[in-house]
Amino acid sequence: MASTQRTEIRFAGSGGQGLITGARILFKALALAGRQAAQSQSYEPTSRGGFCHSDLVVSDGEPDYPLVTGIDYLVVLDQVGADRSADVIGKETLVVADARLVPNPPAEANIRSLPLTDRALALGSHRVANIIALGALVGFTGICPKEALEQAVRAETPKKFADLNVAAVEEGFRLAEELAVA
Amino acid sequence: MNEVATVAGAETGPFEIRDYLRLELMPHFMCPGCGHGIALRALLWAVHELGIEKDKLAVVSGIGCSGRVGAYIDANTFHTTHGRPLAFATGLKLARPDLTVVVISGDGDSLAIGGNHLIHACRRNLDMTLLMLNNEVYGMTGGQVSPTTSEHRLTTTTPTGNVEPVFDACRLAAASGASFVGREVTLQAPALKNLVKKAIAHNGFSFVEVMSDCTEIYGRKNDLGESPEMILSQKADMRPEAFGNVADQPFRPHRLATGVFAELDRPEYGAVYRAQPAFRKG
Amino acid sequence: MSEQLTPLHGNHACALGAIAAGCRFFGGYPITPSSEIAERMSRELPKVGGVFIQMEDEIASMAAIIGASMGGTRSMTATSGPGFSLMQENLGYAAIAEVPCVIINVMRGGPSTGMPTRPAQGDILQARWGTHGDHPIIVLTPASVQEVYDETIRAFELAEKLRVPVVVMYDQIIAHLLEGVKMRDADAPLVERKWAGSEADYKPFATGDDLVPAMARPGDGHRVHTTGLTHNEAGFPTQHPETVDRVTRRLLDKLDRHRAEIEKFEAVDTDDADILVVTFGISARAARRAVRIARAEGIKAGLFRPLTMWPFPEEALRAAAKGAKAVLVPEMNAGQLSWQLERVLRDGTPIVSQGKIDGQPITPDEIVARLREIRGS
Repeated sequence: MASTQRTEIRFAGSGGQGLITGARILFKALALAGRQAAQSQSYEPTSRGGFCHSDLVVSDGEPDYPLVTGIDYLVVLDQVGADRSADVIGKETLVVADARLVPNPPAEANIRSLPLTDRALALGSHRVANIIALGALVGFTGICPKEALEQAVRAETPKKFADLNVAAVEEGFRLAEELAVA
Repeated sequence: MNEVATVAGAETGPFEIRDYLRLELMPHFMCPGCGHGIALRALLWAVHELGIEKDKLAVVSGIGCSGRVGAYIDANTFHTTHGRPLAFATGLKLARPDLTVVVISGDGDSLAIGGNHLIHACRRNLDMTLLMLNNEVYGMTGGQVSPTTSEHRLTTTTPTGNVEPVFDACRLAAASGASFVGREVTLQAPALKNLVKKAIAHNGFSFVEVMSDCTEIYGRKNDLGESPEMILSQKADMRPEAFGNVADQPFRPHRLATGVFAELDRPEYGAVYRAQPAFRKG
Repeated sequence: MSEQLTPLHGNHACALGAIAAGCRFFGGYPITPSSEIAERMSRELPKVGGVFIQMEDEIASMAAIIGASMGGTRSMTATSGPGFSLMQENLGYAAIAEVPCVIINVMRGGPSTGMPTRPAQGDILQARWGTHGDHPIIVLTPASVQEVYDETIRAFELAEKLRVPVVVMYDQIIAHLLEGVKMRDADAPLVERKWAGSEADYKPFATGDDLVPAMARPGDGHRVHTTGLTHNEAGFPTQHPETVDRVTRRLLDKLDRHRAEIEKFEAVDTDDADILVVTFGISARAARRAVRIARAEGIKAGLFRPLTMWPFPEEALRAAAKGAKAVLVPEMNAGQLSWQLERVLRDGTPIVSQGKIDGQPITPDEIVARLREIRGS
C-alpha cells in the first residue's frame, strides 16, 4: 500500500534548453497512456539562463506528494543540471546525459551518456536535443508507448516543426536501442 | 447628455428637494451653516433638471462629513471606506454602465487618503462625476489639518498655524487627465447646480471642486465669523474663470477661481473596453 | 478516463474555475506568485462579456470588486501576502455590508516582502482575523490543481448564497503545479444570490431563518443605502445598543447556521490512528504520502485535512482525533494551525508542532521522521 507506482522524473539543465517543454510533452504522453502526473519547475525571480529543472511525478491516480523526493529518471542536458541535481539522485537513478555538454556525469548512478546534441545537429537543429533525450528515455524505460509520445509531440509543439520533432523521437529510440545492443 | 438615464417623455417640473430626500432620516446631521447642504441641494437640483431617474442614480461616498451626505439622497447610495469611494465606484460603473454614478467625497478623502485613487480615476476617464466638497478641514474627526487647509490656519493638529502648502485640486485633476474639471463656491448655488449638471452630462470622468464652508469647527477656530460672514468672504475672494493657462502659473492655488477649467472629448474607459474585438456583447 | 483531464497550472485552474462559476468582474494588481490569475482573467473575461481591470493598488482592487458585486456582478480579485494585507480594510466592508466576493491569496514567504517566489502557509490567521472587529469570513484551502478549480467554484457559490467574502488560499507550489483537471460542464447551473423582489415592506438587512438578507439590485426600485457603519435592518447607521447587538450577532451567527454546507475536510485512516497528522494545502499532500509510508512501517498514522479552514471544522476534527495518542501538525509557518488545534482539542492530547519557515516545502520524509520520533517517545 505504500507504493503507489510512483515514478519521479527530472529534466535538468539551463534555461532555454526546452526542459519544461520536454516535461510537458511527457505529461501529455502519459495522460494518453492513462497515467496521471504532476509537473513542477524551478520558479525564481530570473528566468533566463542558469540552472533550470522541470519535474514530473507520475502515478496511476492523482500523485500524493507532487514534488520529487528521490528521482528515478534524470535527463541532464548540461553540467549545471547534473551538478545541481546531485542531492536528489541515487545509485538506482537512470541518468540520460548529453555526452558533449555533461563531461562529468554523476558518479553514483546508472549513467547513459548519449550524443544528444550531436544527433540533434545532424537532424538540423540543436534545439531538438531535448526531444531526442525524451525518445531515448521512453526507449529505455517504456514508461509510455512510443505512439503516445509521438502523438504528444505533435500536440505540444508547433505544427511546422512537427516532422522534425517526430524524427527526433525516432532518433532517441534508435540511440536507446544502439546502447542496448552494445 | 450621453449615458444619462432620463424619465422617458416626462416633463421636468419645478424642483422640489423633498422629492429627492429620505425624509425619514431628518433631522440631518449637518451643523448649522455647513456648506455641504448647499452642495447636496445643487446636486439634487441638477439631477432633477437632467431628468435622471432616482432608481438609476448611484451615489457613492467615502468617510467624513462629505461621506455622510449621500445617505439623505433617495437613490442607490453607497457609503464606503475612507478615501476609496472612487475605487468602489469604478467597479460599480464598469459592472453597471446603465447607472449614473456620482461620487461625493471631501478634501481629506480625495486628496490625502484617496489621492492615488483620484489621479488614476482622472487618468482612466470612466464616465462618472466626483463632487469634492472642500471645507479645508477634517470636520468629522474634530478639526484636524487637511491637504487644502490654508497656510497659517489653526486646526487641532496645527496649534500654531498650518505650515504646509495646499493642493490645488483642480489643477491636480486636470494634470491627471480628468476630461471635465470645474470649481464653484456654495455662495452661488444656481451656478453650482449648472456646473454639476454639465459635469454629470459630460461623457467621461468629471471632477467638480465645491468650496464649502465649515463654520462650526474651522470657522470658529480661525475667527472667520458666522456663516454669513464666511460665505460672503467667498464673494470677496472669488475670481471667476481665472484659471488661465496651467503652464504659466506657479503651483500656487487660485483656490477661488471658479468655472469650467477643462472640458475634453476623450475616449470613455468603459466604452473603449467594451469596443475591443474580443469582447462578447451580451 | 485521463483523456477527460485538462492539463492546467494551479493559477490558470483558478481563473477558469472563476469563469465557470459565473465570475464576470476581476479587479487586481500584479503580485508574485499570483499574477497568472490576473493575466488569464484579462484574456478570458472579455470573451464572456465580463470586465477585467488592473487597479492602482490592492486597496482599490478590493474596493472595485465590492463595487461591481453591489452592482450585481459576481466578482473576484487575486493577490499574495503584501496585497492581502492591503485588502483587509475593504474585506471588512464586504463582511459588514454583506457583499459577496471572492479573494484568492497565493501565499508566499513573509512577513512583509518576504520571499516572493517561495511557498509558505503563514496567512491562515490573518485570513481569519486580518480585518478589525468581529466579522464573518469563509476561508478555503485547496491542495491540488483540481481542488483549486473546484474550490474556486465553491467559493463563488458560498459567497453568493451567504453574502459573505470568501478567501481561497493556496501556496506558490500549487499555483505553478501542472496537473490534470476535470472541468465542469459549461451549462452547469449557477448558484444565484438571493435577490429582493418587489415587496413593499422590503428591508435590506432583515432576514428569515437562514439569516441571509435578500439583496436589492440597483435599478430594481428599492433604492437602498449600503454602509460600512453598523446599521439596522433598514440599512441605516445605528448605535442603539440592543439593535447593534442584534444585528452584529445575526451577522456572526449567519455562518454558524450554514456550517454543515460550509465545512469540508478529508479524513484518511483516522479510525484507528494512534498519531493524527493535521495539515492543509501542499503540506497535506506530503502528509498523505507520509501516512502511507508510516502505515507500511507499522505506525498507525492518520490524516485530517481541512479544506475549509474557517469556520474550522471543529467537530469533525474532534471526531478524527478521538483515540489518537498524539497530534502532529506539519505546516509552512511557525505553528499557526497548531495553535488553533490547542483551542479545538481541549482533551489533553499532546499536539506536536512541525512548523517549517525556511521557504522550502515540507517533505514526506520529514513528516515520517517526526512520526517515528513520536512513536518512540
